[in-house]
Amino acid sequence: MIGLVFAGCAPTGEIPNVTNARIGQPTGVNGALYLTAHAYGQGDRLISARTTVARDVELHETVINADGTATMRGAASFELPARGSLTLEPGGYHLMLFEVDRLEVGDLVEVTLIWENAGEMTTTAVVVDPAETIIEEGENHDHD
Amino acid sequence: MAELTERVARIRSWQVVGLAVVSIILLSCAGGVPTERLQAEVVIENPQPKPSFTLTDTSGAPYDFAERTKGKVTLLYFGYTFCPDICPVHLAQIAETIQTDPTLGRNLEVVFVSVDPARDTPEVIRSYLNSFSSRFVGLTGTADELRVAQEAAGVPVAVMRGEGTGYAVDHAAWVIAYGPDGLNHANYPFGTRQVVWANDLRVLTAIAAVGE
Repeated sequence: MIGLVFAGCAPTGEIPNVTNARIGQPTGVNGALYLTAHAYGQGDRLISARTTVARDVELHETVINADGTATMRGAASFELPARGSLTLEPGGYHLMLFEVDRLEVGDLVEVTLIWENAGEMTTTAVVVDPAETIIEEGENHDHD
Repeated sequence: MAELTERVARIRSWQVVGLAVVSIILLSCAGGVPTERLQAEVVIENPQPKPSFTLTDTSGAPYDFAERTKGKVTLLYFGYTFCPDICPVHLAQIAETIQTDPTLGRNLEVVFVSVDPARDTPEVIRSYLNSFSSRFVGLTGTADELRVAQEAAGVPVAVMRGEGTGYAVDHAAWVIAYGPDGLNHANYPFGTRQVVWANDLRVLTAIAAVGE
């Protein structure tokens, strides 16, 4: 399991449990970070994120339209429902890493997630091959 | 839940039996017309000939798509290198499939057409594709040439979205597969897994080229 570390402002909500934080090894200027968050009690909202390996991080959503085209657009926040999960995965939500550093498979990257209620938390994402960013059911990319 | 798991297990065991049967059939008619079915989400009932268009490859030379890919299994994909999400996943799935079974890559051309000519120079495209395979072909062109190519391939023409240098490009999210016979047999939407690629590249490879 990923160790969660408090940082910054005092949280007012329960800290979400974040698992499977992963970055597809960047192949171009930008990269994408995926993760799963669980709320055991009240819900929350992911409102932003930052990491030292990218110039900027934005919340993005990829939508596959009815005609089969893909649209990528910014999102103000990602909703984590009470007693539910928030999944960031290819073809859906991701944290867009603008001008990301060159990263190697296996690198560990510290990422700060900012939640509306829980405040800031730091988690560690592992760099994986882009083909491995899709997680099969039951698979787990967490590192010890 | 337990019932569901059991059902899945039952389906999986049938898949194993199915695979074994298919392998036997394939072995018994190696070199003939494929008897195995494509597992693509979109199998084209009435396949059409490969489109004709000429773009510029990453060395700066003209690339006549129909001519250069003649007789080969060809995967055609329109994307852009700033895309961090679906483009790299598609290309990485294909690259890993070929790495796992190099025989699938012997008569295969993977062609990535960038629909972002402003940012994707031939050098940028080459460096991007080399992350997957140095054998993947990268193409670019003027906005007009790219529009012609997309129309010829039957995909919606990509559209720029957003402002400044961080704009996104809406583009067709599927890979088009042509057999050695020059026909488009299937489309692969986003999320296609390696097990499907491995099966289908084998099936497509077994299709006889025209005139052979």
